Amino acid sequence: MIVELKDVEKSFGRFKALKRITFSVKENERVALLGPNGSGKTTTVRIISGQIRPTAGEVVVFGKRKIDDEVKKKLGVVSHNTFLYEDLTAFENMKFFAGLYGVDESRIRELLEEFDLWKRRHDLVRNYSRGMKQRLSIARALLNKPELLILDEPTTGLDVEGRTRFFEMLSSYTSAMIFTTHNLQEAEIVCERTVLIRDGRVVYDGKSENLEEIYREVTE
Amino acid sequence: MKFLKIAIKDLRTEFRTKGTINFLFLFAFLSIMLFSATVEKPEPALLWIVFIFAGMLGYSRAFLREVETGTLDALRISPVSPSSILFGKILYNSVIMLMLQAFVIPIFMAVFDIYPENLILAVAVLTAGNLAFVVVSSSLSVLVIKSRARELLLPILLFPVVFPVIISTVQAFSMAVSGNLDGIQGPVSVILGFSTSMLAVGYLTIDYAFIE
Repeated sequence: MIVELKDVEKSFGRFKALKRITFSVKENERVALLGPNGSGKTTTVRIISGQIRPTAGEVVVFGKRKIDDEVKKKLGVVSHNTFLYEDLTAFENMKFFAGLYGVDESRIRELLEEFDLWKRRHDLVRNYSRGMKQRLSIARALLNKPELLILDEPTTGLDVEGRTRFFEMLSSYTSAMIFTTHNLQEAEIVCERTVLIRDGRVVYDGKSENLEEIYREVTE
Repeated sequence: MKFLKIAIKDLRTEFRTKGTINFLFLFAFLSIMLFSATVEKPEPALLWIVFIFAGMLGYSRAFLREVETGTLDALRISPVSPSSILFGKILYNSVIMLMLQAFVIPIFMAVFDIYPENLILAVAVLTAGNLAFVVVSSSLSVLVIKSRARELLLPILLFPVVFPVIISTVQAFSMAVSGNLDGIQGPVSVILGFSTSMLAVGYLTIDYAFIE
């Protein structure tokens, strides 16, 4: 197992965002975290990626209980927040993060070419379209060749073409993945397994098949 | 050396947007002009007041900008220790502070006709005081990033904490200006000791303050 969550809870003041969440992710497994807005999906992936600490429970990522630099070097995170500096160019952004990950600069060119951004590498990110920003965000997340890719509603704000292109890019990616979405079709397309979260609890953990029916059953 | 990368990234952003520098320089210049029109007998301590108010509004931007743009989470998910982030921000603010000093000191001396007997020592004391101020304000900025009223909360927290530095810098600076250096070691020791202690406190606490 590369990710194990056991009875994880997270409270923000009096609000309990997660209530005893338990699930795990195996190597090379693609898991969708499915649920309506406010169900606790983002909180869960923020805990896994080390952005926040759980209030209770056990989180083990790559065999470690603390999400330290060693663990973070194996993670890649793409979110609806692009995690990019708008007043830096695409190349400057990539160079900065490559420096933090200790990645060679040749990898930057490789990724920017792959994501069709090399020609506009010296443009400020603030002048990019939403789709370009998201492509750059994915390129940034792949700098370190992550063993686990965490995608937190990455298609938010993308048009149909942007979404199609995004899923094409994902198809070439073979490592483990946690993909949060509230879209049943996206979960079925991208992941072989789905963990359905509702009101901070896991209500389904199984194959990404007949999700519409399952979703209806657990929400009724 | 990741703190260096963070400082360089911040400086590059700042020199491109000039969001903080322009504001700080303008604020400092206007303060000096205001003092020159209203204060009959100028004291050297006025210079320190200019630095305090400019710094109080400006140095916190290094962290708060990351919160506003959502890039603080980018640093949280990256393999960089919170202490490296803190030291990067301190280094960035120190460069801004040195630039502010280089701009403000000559204007202040010319406007108020104050020429220190020992100019090098006066500038050194001011730099030490400002550096302590940068360390304290950068460290405290981390504590207020989760608050909604962070820009209002920071000065309230900052003033009592930085009070020993204010008193000591004013004393040491006045001595350097008058040329009477008897006992200057006292306030200088307080400034240096205080900034070292605050650096240690910031280093020890940032792990807890940085991650929710």
